[in-house]
Amino acid sequence: MKRSIHNLLSITLVLLLSCGPGFAQRRGGGSARTSVNQGNVNRNTNVNSNRNVNANVNRNVNVNVHHDVDVHHSYYGGGCCYHPVATAAAVTATAMVTAAVIGSMVNTLPPSCTVVMMNGLTYQQCGSTWYQPQFVGTSTTYVVVAAPR
Amino acid sequence: MYKRLFCSIAILSFSLSLIAQSTPAPKNTDIDPVAMAALNKMGTYLRTLGTFQVKSVQTTDDVLENGQAIQSDGVIDVVAVRPNRLRAEITSDDKHQFLLYDGKTFTIFGQLVNYYATVPAPPTIGELIDKLDQKYGIEMPLVDLFLWASSRSDSTKDITGAIDVGPSSIDGTSCEQYAFRQAGLDWQIWIQLGDYPLPRKLILTTTTDDARPRHTQVLTWNLAPSFNDAAFSFEPPDGAQKIAIAEVTEYGNDQKEPKTGSSK
Repeated sequence: MKRSIHNLLSITLVLLLSCGPGFAQRRGGGSARTSVNQGNVNRNTNVNSNRNVNANVNRNVNVNVHHDVDVHHSYYGGGCCYHPVATAAAVTATAMVTAAVIGSMVNTLPPSCTVVMMNGLTYQQCGSTWYQPQFVGTSTTYVVVAAPR
Repeated sequence: MYKRLFCSIAILSFSLSLIAQSTPAPKNTDIDPVAMAALNKMGTYLRTLGTFQVKSVQTTDDVLENGQAIQSDGVIDVVAVRPNRLRAEITSDDKHQFLLYDGKTFTIFGQLVNYYATVPAPPTIGELIDKLDQKYGIEMPLVDLFLWASSRSDSTKDITGAIDVGPSSIDGTSCEQYAFRQAGLDWQIWIQLGDYPLPRKLILTTTTDDARPRHTQVLTWNLAPSFNDAAFSFEPPDGAQKIAIAEVTEYGNDQKEPKTGSSK
């Protein structure tokens, strides 16, 4: 009988350990939940959002403040390994030097862009790079696209 | 034989009770029924409001990569006419947006960027809330006010702790302060005392982040707002450009080129 209880206790312990809180403590890069009823611990996928609209890379001393746009965890295919922040930073810094990676997203455009309407869609042409503005959640984001023809 | 069976049952039930004791399930003693009743009473009252305007002066913490919390301010002004009209104006340091719903279409307009997107909308505010959340990853401003009032949602089922903190005054109005806990979130609410049990202040503390970022709302209500039908429909101002809204569900496995909602 003692042994049974011991075994069961072990099983219980294992169960407790493996079935504990399903979400790990996160550190940084998140945002406060803004609703009691619709918040989901898994939806904290961040889209980099610079509050500073100044697009001059050299003068821009902004920190990357991340706004949670309440995107579902499936948004970036599980959210584990895709870092829009890094992509955005790289693109912002190099957009005027080399062509940006198609499909990457930025929240601010490089300087000297022109608005081009083509096929009923709005584009921003910045040098040789084309951006398509879109709402991601309630944030405006620019996706690097192939030059429309 | 019977003795052995009895013994097995005894062991089993004893073990089960051990398991039950060691499972961190919420104890009923953590939940003050008075606090739960106040929450339900507020929800029932919110359900009776056909038309209302509510302004939220709010703050939201963002957390930097190094764990430092940075607060930003915002104001949200919502006019809602149940079941099928809603207008929300969002003003913050980096946004001045309008969300407009007239029962047929939903438009989001960013005044600073002068972009807008319009998509077809379901026939009720409740369905719109779900569609915005699930399809576009947009949380309806002040969504809790609608979900607490929703008869279909059992919004109190996630609560694992409830306390009646005591009387507290918000903007000179007598309220009762309550504190609740649920997975990943500690929250406090101030509910107006008297015949109009309205939520007047909210603090949400996200507990899944070490920085424990907070979101606060201080709410001012107008239960007899004036408005006209034009307030809920969108006329693009000069130079405003129509763009798309990224769809959440179709984005999942394709990180390169987000499929975007038709903005016709």
